[in-house]
Amino acid sequence: MTLAEGVIQAPSWVLQASMLTTDSPLWNQPALWGAVILAGAAVTYIWRILGVLLAARIDPEGAVLRWVRAVATALVAALVARMVLFPSGLLAQAPLVARIGALIMGMLFWRLAGRRLALSIAVAAACFLLLEYLFP
Amino acid sequence: MTSEQRQNNASTMGDPSADDPSADYDWQGLVRGMRTAFTVPGLVMAMSFLGFGALVRAIAFPLKGAVAMDILMWALPGQVVYVDTLSRGLALLLALLAVTLTAVRLMPMVVLVLARARLPGARRWPEYLAAHFIAATLWVMSEMYMEGVPRRQRVPWVIGLGLTLMSGMVLSTFAGYHLTAHMPTPLAAMLVFFTPAFFILALLDGARERADWAAIVLGALIGPIAHLSWPEIDLLLAGIIGGSLAMLFTHRGSRAQGERP
Repeated sequence: MTLAEGVIQAPSWVLQASMLTTDSPLWNQPALWGAVILAGAAVTYIWRILGVLLAARIDPEGAVLRWVRAVATALVAALVARMVLFPSGLLAQAPLVARIGALIMGMLFWRLAGRRLALSIAVAAACFLLLEYLFP
Repeated sequence: MTSEQRQNNASTMGDPSADDPSADYDWQGLVRGMRTAFTVPGLVMAMSFLGFGALVRAIAFPLKGAVAMDILMWALPGQVVYVDTLSRGLALLLALLAVTLTAVRLMPMVVLVLARARLPGARRWPEYLAAHFIAATLWVMSEMYMEGVPRRQRVPWVIGLGLTLMSGMVLSTFAGYHLTAHMPTPLAAMLVFFTPAFFILALLDGARERADWAAIVLGALIGPIAHLSWPEIDLLLAGIIGGSLAMLFTHRGSRAQGERP
């Protein structure tokens, strides 16, 4: 099955509940979708501006920054857990054992093979593919 | 540069040579940074943006929106959160709140990169430009490679590296979006899988203190529970609760460490 078919066969709620999928009329109005992206850019860049302003003043080892860093780290870890346990779209078509198994294999390899980031990601991806074919 | 700006920058930290008021950036660093983009971290990043293109396609989000995000947002976790939250049909303000919370982590990264790169006496605009390019991967790359770059070349180096990475990632998003249409589903799913795999391994790889490890574990544990209970604000809850608990644990840990002779 190709991806295009997969998208067409996706559960109807994906499209119905969607605000900004391809079929949304919003994408025919550059001013509107541009504003949506710009809003996302603004709430992202604001922290970079703060970073520039603070770079000269703040203690990078300070407690506040360490808390912020911890919150952000936990948030991204939660995002990974959400993508793996409650996936949307294509990833949802892969079996749970492939999603979790490959992530664990990647982390184990990273730990045991000398913390090689790129190689570990490749191993995780290869395990994912293998598990997909073993447990269709 | 005006004398007013010079005064604003006078009282800053950094190495002593950086306090020279006549200092300005050496833009040869731009080319140097462009070359640094062609390294293993750049390749890994391209893979995860290939995955981003595939993810965008999989949840039926338009390519032009994704490319605009690459250029204007330039922070993959935020982009994934934004695309994912919007396509789930949740409110724009909640999506923006989630995005801005993932972007908070950019602040310490910008601080950490610029503290080692900026010249306090020089013009400010290169710093604001460089900051736009600083995200997780570039921060990791600066830890790996910036030591060998002369101080005056560092901010241009960040800009050159960022510009090149960004061009590559736009191509990568484009390729990921289009390749997955002619690909067997398991292979396309693997490309999407690159993104969570890259995130969790990059988090582990970047973890230095106990707070980082605790935050990773707690975030991954609290996230799913929060998702089942309050799916609209699951990431925020997991981030704040998990991060705060991780800080509490390590506060004790670092104090105990400090007591050692």
